Amino acid sequence: MRLLALFSLATVIALALETIIPRWLPLGPLMPDLVLVLAVDLGLRHQQATAALMAFGMGYAADSFSGAHLGLEAFVLTLAFLIAYALSRYLISSSAAIGVFVVVIGEFMIGAGQYAASAGWNSAGGFAAILPAIAWRALASALVAPSIFALMEAAARMVGLRQHAVRE
Amino acid sequence: MARTLRGSFLWRNRVLLTGAAMLLLAINIFFTGNRPGARAAKPSLALLWTLRPFQNSAAELASDAQGFFHDYLDLVNVRQQNDALKREVAELEAEHTRMVELQVENRHLADLLELHEALGMSAVAARVIGVDPSGISRTLIISGGSDSGLQREDAVISTEGVVGKLIAVGPDSSRVLLIDDHNSGLDAFDQRSRARGIVTGELDAGMTMKYVDRTEDVRPGDAIVTSGMDGNFPGGLLIGTISQVSQEGPGLFLNVAVRPAVNFRELEQVLILTQKPAPAAGQS
Repeated sequence: MRLLALFSLATVIALALETIIPRWLPLGPLMPDLVLVLAVDLGLRHQQATAALMAFGMGYAADSFSGAHLGLEAFVLTLAFLIAYALSRYLISSSAAIGVFVVVIGEFMIGAGQYAASAGWNSAGGFAAILPAIAWRALASALVAPSIFALMEAAARMVGLRQHAVRE
Repeated sequence: MARTLRGSFLWRNRVLLTGAAMLLLAINIFFTGNRPGARAAKPSLALLWTLRPFQNSAAELASDAQGFFHDYLDLVNVRQQNDALKREVAELEAEHTRMVELQVENRHLADLLELHEALGMSAVAARVIGVDPSGISRTLIISGGSDSGLQREDAVISTEGVVGKLIAVGPDSSRVLLIDDHNSGLDAFDQRSRARGIVTGELDAGMTMKYVDRTEDVRPGDAIVTSGMDGNFPGGLLIGTISQVSQEGPGLFLNVAVRPAVNFRELEQVLILTQKPAPAAGQS
């Protein structure tokens, strides 16, 4: 319940920031994907079935404010959660480096998914045109990810949540 | 019993299995959620409604902060003046900023009202309260919703020209798919030559007018207007101007680049047409 409350609040704040900041500060593709970072944090540190449901919910919430295809962010964020979960269990570590790696992968998956959903793979040449924007967004997300992981770790500790990355 | 359950395959892999189930659900939503009236889209409208107060407050806070920042910069050079005078100047500056802001908003609304009257169609004015964070898709979040009579597919315009159409409508906020998004397609005419095509957004930036026959007479600078054939937008609304025309390759069509008439980044007020236009001549 505490996990749900903490990440629901974090998601609402992240979505509010993501939709408001670009209106006043023209960051363009440099606006980090905060919700993706939160989903990866869930996969790294909160290895429960409910966390998988929450990653999906966070993706669905992001879908409500972004893109023209409902379900895309829900898919990618759940996948990013699973990758982070699998890596952290396999490596028995919840290091921020793993999270940053998954955030970058996730950002490229979102970009490729959005492209495939709207342009189709037939016009693969057009993907190169949006690749720099995706790369910048991935870089921005990767840069803020360690701070968000640390922030969420502190917040989780404050509300008394157990965080682990070990084989159960 | 509990030990048997904990040792079972399902229990050991519960996170992966739950994740896999969620992936399947996401795929299902992806293929069914975009249909009009889809049940899968209903919770997303509720989410849109939930975040609206935060977005409104944040938008106002950001606006105030911006005004405060400007006031501060103005005052840096008059530090020698006494505190009372500083406070007075600050108050007057803040008041002035507010007045200017109100004046601009008033002018926008007056322009929208004028446009509304010129169109002779029922319409609702709304404020832009958020933008698409993805950077690839181009959508806006506006303050009006189904409580104001808005519906999915309603046309969104501004005093400068066509903005887009509604793709999701919550009770008191909605999402607009901008005409420069790559998922948008708008039936249009070259106002001078009457050459017809479909205006669509490009993934990287800008817009193009597709399916314009190579024999058509289209030139840079020509105004592109809505044809009124799509059933959402009335005919004759400005979409943009042609910025470049080329004839690369052996294709049947011209490559026509279009510069949007609306500056989407600076958009503050929009008008949503709640009444569908009368069918244009030639449309069944």
